[in-house]
Amino acid sequence: MAVQPKKYPMPVQDPKIRARNFEEVAKGYPVEVAVKEAQRCLNCKNSPCVNGCPVNVRIPEFISKIKEKDFDGAYEIISRSSSLPAVCGRVCPQETQCESKCTLGVKFEPVAIGRLERFAADYHNSKICEDNVNVQENGHRVAVVGSGPSGLACAGDLAKKGYKVTVFEALHTAGGVLVYGMPEFRLPKKIVKKEVGELEKYGVEIKTNVVIGKTITIDELFTSGYEAVFVGSGAGLPRFMGIRGESLKGVYSANEFLTRANLMKAYDYRSHTPIMRAKKVAVVGGGNVAMDAARTALRLGADKVYVIYRRSMDELPARKEEVEHAQEEGIRFEILRNPVEIIGYCNRNDRQDPQNGFVKGIKVVKCELGEPDEKGRRRPVEIPDSEYVIDVDCVIMAIGTSPNPLIKNTTVGLEVNGHGGIIVEDGTGKTTKDGVFAGGDAVTGAATVILAMGAGKTAASAIDEYLSKKEK
Amino acid sequence: MEQKKCFAAVDFADDENVSGYLYWYLCRFANVEEGDLVVAPLGRHNNLQQGVVRQVLFACEDDAPFPVQYVKHIRNLVKTDAESLYRIVKKCELNSTVTMMDIYAPLVAKKAEAGQFIILRVDDDGERIPLTVAGYDRKAGTVKIIFQVVGATTIRLNTKREGEYIADFVGPLGCATKTEGLKKVCVVGGGVGCAIALPVAQKLHALGCEVHSVIGFRSKDLLILEDEFKACSDKLTIVTDDGSYGRKGVVTVPLKEAIESGEKYDEVIAIGPLVMMKFVVATTKPYGIPTTVSMNPIMIDGTGMCGGCRLTVGGKTKFACVDGPDFDGFEVDFDEAMARSDMYAQFEQKERENCNLFKKEVR
Repeated sequence: MAVQPKKYPMPVQDPKIRARNFEEVAKGYPVEVAVKEAQRCLNCKNSPCVNGCPVNVRIPEFISKIKEKDFDGAYEIISRSSSLPAVCGRVCPQETQCESKCTLGVKFEPVAIGRLERFAADYHNSKICEDNVNVQENGHRVAVVGSGPSGLACAGDLAKKGYKVTVFEALHTAGGVLVYGMPEFRLPKKIVKKEVGELEKYGVEIKTNVVIGKTITIDELFTSGYEAVFVGSGAGLPRFMGIRGESLKGVYSANEFLTRANLMKAYDYRSHTPIMRAKKVAVVGGGNVAMDAARTALRLGADKVYVIYRRSMDELPARKEEVEHAQEEGIRFEILRNPVEIIGYCNRNDRQDPQNGFVKGIKVVKCELGEPDEKGRRRPVEIPDSEYVIDVDCVIMAIGTSPNPLIKNTTVGLEVNGHGGIIVEDGTGKTTKDGVFAGGDAVTGAATVILAMGAGKTAASAIDEYLSKKEK
Repeated sequence: MEQKKCFAAVDFADDENVSGYLYWYLCRFANVEEGDLVVAPLGRHNNLQQGVVRQVLFACEDDAPFPVQYVKHIRNLVKTDAESLYRIVKKCELNSTVTMMDIYAPLVAKKAEAGQFIILRVDDDGERIPLTVAGYDRKAGTVKIIFQVVGATTIRLNTKREGEYIADFVGPLGCATKTEGLKKVCVVGGGVGCAIALPVAQKLHALGCEVHSVIGFRSKDLLILEDEFKACSDKLTIVTDDGSYGRKGVVTVPLKEAIESGEKYDEVIAIGPLVMMKFVVATTKPYGIPTTVSMNPIMIDGTGMCGGCRLTVGGKTKFACVDGPDFDGFEVDFDEAMARSDMYAQFEQKERENCNLFKKEVR
């Protein structure tokens, strides 16, 4: 039988309609399409895709189950390796991970592994099952700091091994970046809630409104009976460029803008959360967060949204699908541009003018690509005298974050590197403090959900080993 | 087979408007029994209130006592040591626009220090707002907050009565005010900022430091905490803008007089409106007296994630939630902070109008 050369297309909302609503863009494969897509898998001998996955999901096995229409079986195989299948199926950059290794991809389009993962997870989640899972408790207590991807992954693995796990979350809702950062149209919050609920079935306790490092310190966790601590406190302070005008009204960090829109539900007209519903928005940066911010701004009612990125389209670090979706929705890409100043409105004749101090434009300079830097990415070089002003009334900075400083400041013996990331041992997540493990953005700085999840899982097995050894 | 769900009928006996009526809720705590105290959202504004469970029922969706798609959920089972139930233990109005509340939050009370702040949400779909700690009782597990009823959220908060609950209360956040080694300090408070200045003055007083306090208000009607300041100050000066109480004028006048009369302060600590702190700094700078100001910019998470609370201090970007809220007054860019503080002025104005309408409607 001839191989279908292309992935079966994902049903999506029409770009014109979705650009004005917060419902999920991609609707997911229907059953028949999922089975057909699964049949594209060659089930090749050495399954290179598994190595492309940071948590080594046994991809050919779960795809075979979908072929056989045993969808529960498929979910079961995925959940052995991944704690958040419905999340990863939606937000992983598959094109650089599993799908980039797919044998079929050598000649044709690779198998749509991410879409199939999402299908299996959604199928499982759509069924009512409220039975608690009985796990044999082993009597050991572990504290997990932060309920983002790394914390949830770590907590899930440990709970399945019988540990009594408490997750401490600083915000009022569990999920970390999955609830404050990822927009509703990319990752519906009910999915996160479901995944968190899944962990609670295994006996994981989640305490919100507790800031570790402030409300309770790491040392106090040990004295109150926890035998090991995993720190997955995530991304911290947003970076700014240090150019003029960054303190003007209408300049947001992507974290603030997305937190207002997602966690605080500013997108909902009934919400009390203030947010600028700007008409012309510039987003600075080229990662997934920049795409999320740009597309959120569009949905909040912007007419023109620009993504300003200093390299070319080929270097955009965002997930390919997100860039394509953004382009379809009408986001304009101002590539090879670097902001040099944000310009504010200033009425010298009337100091009471309410528009004073708000953004009115962003001055950018054109760039060209020069020699590759140490990471192999071509460095942007500014072209002299090529500045011009783009007319905008809101600027969102999405150029990364540095790790959260709260825990480092209040924990003696926990060492961090020059960027503020917690120093850990490769392959275990062990920090310089005995019994403390760490992973995710708190260690690496801004990265992806799946890498954070992988780090959480690595730490979980290291914690298991550490506590079993201690017992002897 | 479809799973049975747990329903509980709750009587809100303390609320005279509804006592005696039973309200059905879905309950995720399967161990709930008749007679248990629970906290649940009530009414169209979902006020969290405490009630007693009168009946428990396990039913399928079809035989539910109330349509499942409309039924609300019980928020929590009350245990005597519940850490995550933020009960308003005491409420009193200090003047027509300023309210004081003691909130039960033992984990926060255990750690809170003068100068730190908390973040609260009034109800489940509310905003997160920062409020500075105005006092704490470690033994009773309560934290005192004093707030001006000025925006959408503080108006909501002020409608809560003693014994009711607020949804979230997290802290203590930020760094405590530095008090080590100070022998003689002038504490300057303005308006509701006095509520934050008070615990600082009290702490300094307790450490044996000589405390001079200058507190200012718009008028006599707005005066708060006079007795409390008297008790912890070696010298207290009260000023009002209109002269209706104490001296007429602004806080910087008595401050300047004291400095010129030869008072040697190790430090001046100013807490109040931005414009007041700006002028206190302008007063002390010529004399080189170290001056600490407490900044209260717009915040969301309060834990160093969103960056909304950024300020320029000494030419560098600082974040009030993790680097502050106290900063060296000589270094703070007040003009920028003042401009940023009214970013949502128009939005708040709209909310206030909505709120007033709603008030008329209930009365």
